Formats: sequence, C-alpha cells, structure tokens
Amino acid sequence: MTNLFLALRLARREMRSGFSGFRVFFACLVLGVAAVAGVGSLSSALLTGLAEEGRVLLGGDVSVHLVHRPADANELAFLEAHGRVSETISMRAMAYAIKNGREDERQLIELKAVDGAYPLYGSVGLWPGMPLARALACNASMCGTAVEQTLLDRLHLPVGGELRIGSANYRVTAVLASEPDRIASGFSLGPHVLMSKQGLSRTGLVTVGSLIEYAYRVAMPPAASIQRFKDDAAAAFPDSGWEIRDRNNAAPGIKRFVEQVTMFLTLVGLTALAVGGVGAGQAVSAFLDRKREEIATLKSLGAEGGLIFLVYFLQVMMIAAAAVIAGLIVGAALPFLVEEFFAADIPVAARYGVYPEPLLLAVLFGLLSAAAFAIPPLARAREIMPASLFRDVVSRARAHGRLPYLAVAAVAGLCIVALALVLSPSLLFAGWFLAGAAGTLVALRLTAFVLQWLLRRVPRPRSPGLRLALANLTRPGAATASVIVALGLGLTLLATVTLLDHTISAQVKDNLPTLAPTFFFVDIQPSQTAAFDQTIARFKSARDYKRTPMIRGRITALHGVPAADAKVDPGVRWTLSGDRGITYASVPPPGTQITEGRWWPANYRGPTLISFDGDLAKGLGLKLGDTLTLNVLGREIEGKIVNFRHVDFSNGNQNFILILSPGIIDKAPHSFLATVRVAAHDEEPMYRAVTDKFPGISTVRVKDAIAQVNGLLQQLSDGVRAASLLTILAGLLVLAGAIAAGQRARLYDSTVMKVLGATRAQIAFVYALEYGFIGLATGLIALAAGTAGAQAVTERVFAVAFDFDPGAVLTTVLGGVVATLGFGLIAAWSALAARPAELLRHP
Amino acid sequence: MTAINLEDVRLTLASAAGPVNILAGISLTIAEGETVALLGPSGSGKSSLLMVAAGLEAPTSGCVSVAGTDLTRLGEDALARFRRAHVGIVFQSFHLIPTMTALENVAVPLELQGAKDAFARATAELDAVGLGARLEHYPSQLSGGEQQRVALARAMAPRPQVLFADEPTGNLDGQTGAGVADLLFALQARAGTTLFLVTHEEVLARRCQRIVRLKDGAIVADTRVAAAA
Repeated sequence: MTNLFLALRLARREMRSGFSGFRVFFACLVLGVAAVAGVGSLSSALLTGLAEEGRVLLGGDVSVHLVHRPADANELAFLEAHGRVSETISMRAMAYAIKNGREDERQLIELKAVDGAYPLYGSVGLWPGMPLARALACNASMCGTAVEQTLLDRLHLPVGGELRIGSANYRVTAVLASEPDRIASGFSLGPHVLMSKQGLSRTGLVTVGSLIEYAYRVAMPPAASIQRFKDDAAAAFPDSGWEIRDRNNAAPGIKRFVEQVTMFLTLVGLTALAVGGVGAGQAVSAFLDRKREEIATLKSLGAEGGLIFLVYFLQVMMIAAAAVIAGLIVGAALPFLVEEFFAADIPVAARYGVYPEPLLLAVLFGLLSAAAFAIPPLARAREIMPASLFRDVVSRARAHGRLPYLAVAAVAGLCIVALALVLSPSLLFAGWFLAGAAGTLVALRLTAFVLQWLLRRVPRPRSPGLRLALANLTRPGAATASVIVALGLGLTLLATVTLLDHTISAQVKDNLPTLAPTFFFVDIQPSQTAAFDQTIARFKSARDYKRTPMIRGRITALHGVPAADAKVDPGVRWTLSGDRGITYASVPPPGTQITEGRWWPANYRGPTLISFDGDLAKGLGLKLGDTLTLNVLGREIEGKIVNFRHVDFSNGNQNFILILSPGIIDKAPHSFLATVRVAAHDEEPMYRAVTDKFPGISTVRVKDAIAQVNGLLQQLSDGVRAASLLTILAGLLVLAGAIAAGQRARLYDSTVMKVLGATRAQIAFVYALEYGFIGLATGLIALAAGTAGAQAVTERVFAVAFDFDPGAVLTTVLGGVVATLGFGLIAAWSALAARPAELLRHP
Repeated sequence: MTAINLEDVRLTLASAAGPVNILAGISLTIAEGETVALLGPSGSGKSSLLMVAAGLEAPTSGCVSVAGTDLTRLGEDALARFRRAHVGIVFQSFHLIPTMTALENVAVPLELQGAKDAFARATAELDAVGLGARLEHYPSQLSGGEQQRVALARAMAPRPQVLFADEPTGNLDGQTGAGVADLLFALQARAGTTLFLVTHEEVLARRCQRIVRLKDGAIVADTRVAAAA
C-alpha cells in the first residue's frame, strides 16, 4: 500500500512533463471505446424499443396466423374468450389504375383487409388525416382504400383516383403513411394497400386454396398470461396449424438482425482497438525510451523494479482512463445523434437513452486492451539497469519483460477474446472473425519481418537517395513493421469486404438472371390452368415454362416428435417455424437430383410418400423411412420419407423442400404456381397479356424482386464498408504516430543532407521512395490477405465461385500508397522546411 | 571498520567484437570515513569499478562487500534496497529528474526509505548546499553548478555510509567545479561519510586521503596523500 501511494506520488510528478507522446495512444483508445460503446448503446436503444413496442409491432399481445383458411367458429370463440380480437386478411394481388373508365397501368400489391377493431394498439397514419373507418368506408358502388405513396407514383394516380383490384373498383381516399404492425408483416414485394373486410369480399379474390394469410390479434387483459394462452391453445386445438407469436418476440427477424449487426460492429470496434493497441504499445515504448535516464536514476537511488513498473503503469492507465471516459461520452452520445439526424430512417421505435451495460462493456474492453498492449513495454522498462547512466548497456538489459508481467498482459488479451465470444449471439462467427483478425495480424507481422530481413540483404544502391531510403526502411525503430501491421489490418478488412460484395453482387446481378425465370405467377386457380397455359404458349420466346400445384402447410412433427420439441441444428430451425410451400408430383420434376432413395411409381396412389431436401434432412436429423406430420388447411397429413433430393436455392427457380405423392394432398383445395423465362422484347407484352386476362393472378417480376434484394444487399455492404473504415482510421492514427516518432531522426538526416548539399527536392524524393514503398507493400499484403479471406468466405460459407474484382486492387493498394505517402510527406514537410543552422546551433 | 572491500574483482563485458576485459582482478579495501580518489585515464575502468562497488553492476567474478554486506549475493531488488539504505551517488551529468523540483529530487531517496519527514529533511539538505531559496525550481531552471549541488544534497540526504562520486566536477567550469568540490568535502567531513571519488583531475584527487591509480583495469599504484594537503 505504501508502495502504491509512493508510486502515485512519483507518477503525478512524472506526469508534469505532459502527454505529447500519447496523442495516438489516446486517440486510438477513444476511437475503439467510442465504437464499442456507441454500437452497444444504439443496439440497446433499438432492442429496448422492440421489446417495449412489442404489442404495437405485433398488433396485439398475441397473434395467431393461419394460411389458406379463416379461423372457424370454435377457434374464434376461444380467441374472443381471451380478449379483444382483431382479424386481418393479407394476400398479394394486382392493382390496376382506372383512367377514363379503363384499366391502365398495373402493379403487384400487398393487400391487407382489416376489421373495425384494427389496430388494437398504435394507430394508422393517413394523409390527409382522417379516421381509418372513414377512409375504408364502403358505399353501394365503391369502397375506400388507403395506399402507400409508391403505388400512386407508379400508377400515376392522385389521392381520390380509382383502382381496380380483382373484380371491383376502389377509391383511393388517403395515403397510407404508417402502419403500426408493418414490421411484423415481413418482406414486401409491392406497395401496401389497406381496405375493409367488406371491401375485400368485393374483390372476388378470396377462394379456398388461394395464398391468403389470416391473422388474429388478441388484446389481452393486463394480468393475463401469454404462456397460459399458448398452453390452452395447444390443448384445445392441437391440430389446428396455428402459428402463434407474442409481444415479447414481435419481430424476431429484426431482433436477430439487430443482434447480428451489433455483434459484427462490436467485433470491428474490437479490431480497431487491436489496431490502436499496436499504436498504443508503440507510444508506450517511445515514452519509456525517453524516460530511460529517469528510470535508471530512480533505480540508482534505490527504487525497486516493481515500484518503477507501478509508477509508469499508473501513468499509462490514467491516460487510458481519460481516453476511455472520452470514448464513453462519444459512444453514449451516438444514440442521441442518430435520433437527431436519422430517426426517420429507423424502422423501429427506438428508446434513445443512456444504457449502462454497453458502456460498462466498453470500459472493460478499453482498459483491458490498454493493459494488454502497455504491459509488455512497461515490463521491459522495469529491467532498465541503473548502470546505463554510466554507459550505454542496452545490450545487457533483458529484451523482454519477466514472465509474470507478460502472462498478465496475455490474460488481459484473452479476457477481451473471452468476453467478445461469451457476449456474441453467434460463437462460431465471432470465433472465426477473431481468429481471422488474429491470424491476419500475425501474418502481417511475419511478412513485415521477412520484408525487412530481405531489404537488409539487398546490395546497397549507388545512388545516395536510394541508399538512404533503403536504410530508413530497415534501421532500428523504423516505421515499416508497425505501419504494415496497423494499416494492413484495416486495408485487409476493406479488401475482404470489397471482394465479397463484388462476388455476391455479381452472383445476384449477372448469374441469377441467366438462370432465373422472368415471371412468377401466383394463385392460378384450377379452373384457369388451361387458359393460362394457352396465354403463355402464344409467346414464341417463352422457355422453361413450369406450372406446379402449390399449397402451404407446416411441418408439425418429425417422426412423431412435435416440431417444437425436436432437437435440430439451429441453422435449419426455420424449416419448422412457419408455413412452407408443398407440391405433389407423380414423376420427378425435370432436373430433379435424387441423392438417396427412390421415386414412387408414376401410378402410385397409396398412403402419402415424401421427397425431402437432403441437406435440410441432415440438419433435422431425418433419415429415409422416417415420418413427417404436415398440417395443411387445418388437417394433419402424415407421410413417409422415401427419397432425398438436392435442392439448389441459388438459381431463383421453383424450389420445394417437400414434394408429396398424389392421392391425398391433391384432393385439398389448392392453386398453382407458374414460372417462365421470356426474351426481353416479350416481357412487357406477356405482363400485359396475363394481367389483362387474369386480374386475380399475382404476377411477380423477378427483375423487380432481385432489384429489391440487391438494394438491401447494397445497403448492407455499404454499412460493412463504412465499418471497415473505422479500422482504417485506427490504422491511419498508428501510421501518423509511427511517422511522428521518427520525426527527430528525419530532421537530423535532412539537416545533414542539406549541409552536404542536397536540395529539398532530392530529400523529398528519398522520403517519397520510403513511404511509397511501405504503402505499396502494405497494400499488396492486405490485398493478398483480403483475397484469401474473401475466397474462403465465398466458397465455404456462401458456396459460390469466387470472382476477383480489379476494383479491390485499386482501393487497397492505392489506398495504402496514398495514405502512407500523404501522411509521410506532410510529416516530412517540417523536416524539409527546417534550416540546418537552427539544428546545428541547438542539437 | 571496513567500508568497502573488493577481492579479486573481475568484469568482462560482451561486445560485438568479442568479450572485453574491463576489470582484471581488483583487490581494494577502504576504511570507514576514508576519502579515496580513483585516478586514471579514459577507458582505464574507473567508472566500471565505481559501478561494481556501488552495486550498480554485478562483477563477473570476485567479492564485493560494502558496509558489511556481500553485494554479490544480492538480487536486483535487494541491491536497490541496499543502495537506498547505505549508498549515495553523484554523477558527472547530475541525472536530476527533470519533471521534479529541486526539493522533490532531494526527497525521492528519503521517500523511497519511507521517511515521514522526507520534505523537511530535503529542505534542510538544500539549505545546507545554499539552495534554500531554489526549492521549487525545476532542473531546467538551475545552472549546472546548482544542479550538481542539488545532486549532492540528494546523495547526502539519507546520510549514506558511502558516497560514490563519478567525475562530479567534470561537466562544470573551473570556478563552479571548485565550489562544488569544496561543498562535497565539507559535507563528507561533517557526516563522516566514506567517499569514493572517480576523477581524472590530479588536483581534485589530491584533496582525498588516498589515491588509487588505475590502468587497463588494474591498480597500478595506491598512495596516501600527505596530510598537509
């Protein structure tokens, strides 16, 4: 304790000399801590918002979904016994603008019919403002609708205009500005249209077997238990096929997305901390080098090594604490900045506020990383010999600190890794990311070492400029290694993201359209099939026309075990969590690849047999001969798996996980799904022909859907790229620090060269050579590491062929050269501008 | 009583060009309260001998005993504790800590000892070297002579049994150097401290009771100075 107080006193005196050497240390730590704290705070704001607004986002305390059929009287009675109920009916349909009494432009829409109780929670935003009931009211000739602005834009209709949906006309009474439960409705293929249930009945589109989703939201009394509701429902309607969601998990997809993005950004923040740590370690080393004489003096006066360590450790940690506090302030402010500037772009009602948990985590990460990187140089300083006051005995001091100190530093580092892994929603991803970052750091360090080793063995050039540049790259304390490591990691991340983005975009943009159909036609009724086939056949360029019966159903049990209790790989859990498309066939559809088992005979009509996706079967633990129980239209169908198929989801074609043998399933009411590929010149005529003749059939342009997915991917990759810039920023800070550390030596060199008659241009040339080489080497190494990383991810994770992008070469290599050269020459400027006489007079 | 006892002390240091023999079997005994000058040309091993005797450097072989303690048996931290209790050192280039005031510099060894009255004693010590008015000055605000006086006060503050001085006037002009030397001997006489002085100045050396001459790492002469000096 006495030692600690004495160390504090000595540290306080030492700190009078200021912290000019700690600017980079400080900035790196602020950056990393702010990133981790900011990402965590924002994520907490979003997740708290999701949790608090759960009932509004869901539309009720619980929500029961049914496909193809409405709830029957018994089911409704059960629901109404638990609270106020609101029914909504959703489907896809075509909307036609009516101009001059005729159908004009048309567009696929997401149609939702609501009852008088909707919405149970929250409110619908309409423009111009009016009650929802008035907007959707019907008179004898027409019902009102509220539609999203995008529909009006695409159909070139004003508010007050007329639409045809199915067999009836509707008046657009208002623009649908916001729906409280929009987020729970998932991915949209078209603009949303709201109408009353009475309005929907006039469309004539509601037929058994059409792809219609019925949702029942229940507003329960405050004391009612959700679990009780679920238990009662399971007991009362075990075979009903109900999909029940509750307010505690209103938007599971969004929640998962927020959690995953948080994890990724936290890892990027940690990478920035690691890069900054390289700079922090350097700053501490440089600081202690300047303090050598004072340390030796204190030792000669009788200070023990432990006290010396404590004196300087306290100083470094005090600066670290100040940086962590500054980082926390920035990080905690981030949610408020987002609220101020981007609140409108956030689809969730976030609860902006100060969240202690992520801030505490950021403090831990910041202090642990400061300790991990500062302890090794501090431990070396502990070994400085007092005899060095008499002569330079550097060689006799230990090159490394004592083992216990290094062990503490290693433990601090491992704590960061363990903390990151424990808190991550995906251990596997976090593990790979950290292993990749650590592997890259080691690879960069090794490469830097080999490069310097090689450069030392290069024969000395005759040109003095080249000779000096070469010497600068390899002399002790040269910036080469630290710049390659620090800037290299950020550039590697950038290269990986750029190449991944390129490969996946190319896959979506270039590869998909050549394989994918031009149109998807949904809800073709059995009575329309012949006429529909003829309509398509009229187009000469139509290829790969496929019309398949489709019905939606859920897997409720695997070999007798209820789906909810089945132990399955989390990666394939989605198969069991909602309705899946099911088809039937007598013979294997063209292109079917059976991997195991045999197809049933073409004339088979016996008990249901099932053909299942082989890869998913592995995750679900299914083997040939196992039974599956399916719930279709509220009825249970049990079937035996007789073969596995390989299903390729990447080509955008019709894909069914489940194909059943005919005999039972084909008796259930169902519609058909069709796909076709046509030449570009036939695209618009076919769209017109089908939509003119079959207003009840939903026509999806694959091109539009791809554009929408592409837009989402683009936003995601832009976000990831922006995040990688954080690491680059940390790298640039380290670069600036390394260059500043060499500034004195550079000033001396440039003075001596000037004395010997070198012009400023000649000296600048030497620096440009030196920094240009470091930048080029860093860029090339980062490109190689990034290519390896991106290739591994595309081939192993996405299972698509890697596609190299020359653009990545430009960003990484050029980025490396420009950054290093820029910073280097700015720093060199003052060395070039200094007059030799000044330095010679005051060395 | 013996203050310093060296027996067959050898020191060999590694260098890029191979091992260099710095001290070649030095044996020397200095009595308590004695003032001894170590005289010799550059490279003769004077400073190395001082480092070994002050416990700043471990000899390659031989025995080093100071104030009754065998230094060769002590580890690094034990040596530090030994120095703070028994030894004071004055350097040619002062080695004051630039971030500390004169007072704080003098107080450090006392603080290291855990002395409660470190600052009071440091103030008295600075008074004794004539710097009572410069307590709060930083080294950069003091002249070379003043800095060396602070260093003297710092070395003497813990009342060491042995005072090692390595060329204490080497970085000072003649007049300032003479003043510092006067002070050094006055403080030594007042406290009765053993003084081990390394110098290459014959005049300074002659102010000691005994002169040991070193050449190529070996003692070539050990003479008593006439009492009249």
